[in-house]
Amino acid sequence: MKSLFSYKIPKNILISINLLGLLLVAFYHNSINKTTIITVLGLIVIIYLSIFILSKISSGDEYIFLIVSMLMSLSIIMIYRLSPELGLKQVIWFVIGILSLFISYFFIKSIKIWPKWMYIYIFISFLLFLTTLIFGKTIKGATNWIVIQNKYSFQPAELIKILFIFFLASYYVNIDKFENKLMLSIVSFGNIAFLFLQKDLGSALIFFTIYIIIVYVYERDRKFILYNIIIASTMAVVSYFIFNHVRVRVEIWINPWKYIDTGGYQITQSLFAIAAGSFLGTGIGRGYPQYIPEVHNDFIFSAYCEEMGLLTGIAIIMLYMIFIYRGIKITLEQKNKFYRIVALGITSLIGVQSFIILGGVTKMIPLTGVTLPFLSYGGSSLVASFASLGILQACSEVFEDEKEDNYGQEE
Amino acid sequence: MDRKNKIENNRIITVLIALSSLFILLIVYLSYFEIFQADFISNNNYNKRIWKEEEYTLRGSIVDRNDLPLASSTQLEDKQLREYHYGPLYSHIIGYNSRTLGKEGLEKAYNKELLNISKNNSINEIKKIMSKSNLNPKGMNIRLTIDHEIQQYAGELLGNQKGSIIVMNPVNGEIYAMISSPSFNPNKVNEDWERIIKNEDSPLINRATQGLYTPGSIFKIITTAAALERQNINTEYNCKGQVTIDGFILKDYSSKGHGNIDLHQALVKSCNVAFGQIALELGQNNLQNTGERFLLNNPISLDINTKKSVLFTEKMSKPDLASTGIGQGKTLVTPLNMLLMTSGIANNGKIIKPILVKDILTSTGKNIKTNETEILSSAISPEIADTIKNMMVDVVKSGTGKAAALSSVKVAGKTGTAQVTGKKDHAWFVGFAPADNPKVSIVVLLENSGTTGGESAAPIARKILSKVLEKY
Repeated sequence: MKSLFSYKIPKNILISINLLGLLLVAFYHNSINKTTIITVLGLIVIIYLSIFILSKISSGDEYIFLIVSMLMSLSIIMIYRLSPELGLKQVIWFVIGILSLFISYFFIKSIKIWPKWMYIYIFISFLLFLTTLIFGKTIKGATNWIVIQNKYSFQPAELIKILFIFFLASYYVNIDKFENKLMLSIVSFGNIAFLFLQKDLGSALIFFTIYIIIVYVYERDRKFILYNIIIASTMAVVSYFIFNHVRVRVEIWINPWKYIDTGGYQITQSLFAIAAGSFLGTGIGRGYPQYIPEVHNDFIFSAYCEEMGLLTGIAIIMLYMIFIYRGIKITLEQKNKFYRIVALGITSLIGVQSFIILGGVTKMIPLTGVTLPFLSYGGSSLVASFASLGILQACSEVFEDEKEDNYGQEE
Repeated sequence: MDRKNKIENNRIITVLIALSSLFILLIVYLSYFEIFQADFISNNNYNKRIWKEEEYTLRGSIVDRNDLPLASSTQLEDKQLREYHYGPLYSHIIGYNSRTLGKEGLEKAYNKELLNISKNNSINEIKKIMSKSNLNPKGMNIRLTIDHEIQQYAGELLGNQKGSIIVMNPVNGEIYAMISSPSFNPNKVNEDWERIIKNEDSPLINRATQGLYTPGSIFKIITTAAALERQNINTEYNCKGQVTIDGFILKDYSSKGHGNIDLHQALVKSCNVAFGQIALELGQNNLQNTGERFLLNNPISLDINTKKSVLFTEKMSKPDLASTGIGQGKTLVTPLNMLLMTSGIANNGKIIKPILVKDILTSTGKNIKTNETEILSSAISPEIADTIKNMMVDVVKSGTGKAAALSSVKVAGKTGTAQVTGKKDHAWFVGFAPADNPKVSIVVLLENSGTTGGESAAPIARKILSKVLEKY
């Protein structure tokens, strides 16, 4: 009973944040009614229940889900503040996310022959890319959306990210079967080229970084890494001169004020918001983050900086850092090579994706539109992030029966 | 196997360090951004937050020294209306506040006070939240040193003539009036903008503080001061109406010549022949040294924009140096600078910082900040100031400045007629009164009027001095 109220128990901090934050935004919107109260209490029950179930079924890491729950709580508070309607929907997305976490968790654990399916991953990735190319709709400048009945839209790239990590993992598990690196290079750069053609530069960058990280750790031919970096850098420079959409992004990054009426509008509004918040923030509901177009998606970090201050912004950055730390710890403790690579890939995915968009909205690096994992408003990217989390949770467990298996052993 | 695992683990840890470094860099970058860049960025006109603050706080009033409102805001149903009660009369002092054009003048300099913005003060934040439900909070009011009666009178006297008049108290620096003509109507600045910027007479420029003009003979005050400060300078000449310097003929205004003349009479009669040669005797360095103590080549800080006067930018030839000595040549001065020079003579050689804003008051009338008297420069010694003062008294009594004389008090002054290549002459008058106990100093500049300072600028100065001395 004592532990229920102790501040030393992480989930109690989580619940307090939820209660305080949601109470504040509910007051702000003047919407303290039955629906809100039930939603808030429901949310708390869901978090408690998920933590409880996870602790019962999984012997693995007990922190990554807590970190993500904290991020999701902050997400719901801010999105509810921006729009109560979207805020309630985000709660539903949270529930869908938790479901996808459990599904992917059990799915990963129920199948034992993942490393054998390398060609299947390649084939599904290719199929998904093909569908995007044929049926893809252009939303926000990138042709990477599939829209069904004008109602449901999703980005196949979100699923391909996970497939790509699985491909890399099974490739390096079976590395002895390949004589050269043709397969690895074609599939990896093929993926990146596809994304590039769809003008999804952010995802292309994420794919490349994951690829380089895994190659860096597992490639025996060290020169190969260097060649990859040289080729990629050359391609980046060449594409700056060839492709207009690349050049535009870089120019806006260098001087957004020149394009303040057009392409630079969103980033400059984001900088105004961050500047307005200073370190302590204006207070929830006391700033104007809604001046940034699409603030609930890619630019949500600027909304935190304005209303809750840079200190909260730094706290969010640190949550991602702890997440990465836990992910790397899981990687190091995992003995099975396949799951080890998958854990490293997913940790890199979450880490790199967060950095690309955090750096983008703050003008530290050129802006490429990707969502901020677990903070941006819902959609296929949130479901994919939760699915990745489920996989990481599974990877944090010991796979006793496979220790003696051939996979994961070399020499 | 073990070694291999160790290498792999080390590489994974390298990945952790690399990713963490990126995030730490991001934190450092953001902190740098908030500390060093945020303020500058926030002031962009595209930042709608600035205007939110403006809608929310009732902008403070600007009043003259007798609390007569010059600019005030009223709350309409959905927006605020800023009214400049005297239209163009204060366009260069108060400026304007426009959403599309930004802010100018005191509206810009005192924006934070007028909106009562105090950063990072949580008590104020809470006050704002509390008052949100009742009334809009009010900004602070600004009380100027300007006397509306004198400002209006000076404006009427200048009329449509291009030029500037500034009136100030030489002892405490308070500016009573500052006129720059042509002007514009700040109430209609948005509608008139195209016309204003196309106007060749540049109504946006505040000629009083930013206009750069050839000083003409009023510059001889500085040449005189430089000569008095140094021993062994020959100041007595025989004036034959002209003198030839390295082939250049320096002429007097009247070609008859002044005959044998000393420094006192040279200033009273504004003798070019004498001052041209005095400048040569002094040399460029000495003249520049004294000139800079009278704030030429120096920035003059005021709440509105000012420009530096220019004296000697390069090594000069003898004819150029002689021309400089009589106020021609390449020297360019602002009327404000010439007024401060005169005020320095009036105030025993000490130049007092000019001020436009007397007090800053809260909406309830509490005084937050009063501007204090501050010495800008000790230009010359009290003895030399006194000597020059006596000369200037004679300028008005018997010399070129007779038109500025008042029957009741002694006026000290100096006239100037500056020749401008290809255009009509500027007429200047600088002066102060009463000469023995100065209460007011004045500069009158009539741009390209084609008249002499004595015949056109001096009479305007006389009327204004008389009006001010009635009141103060």
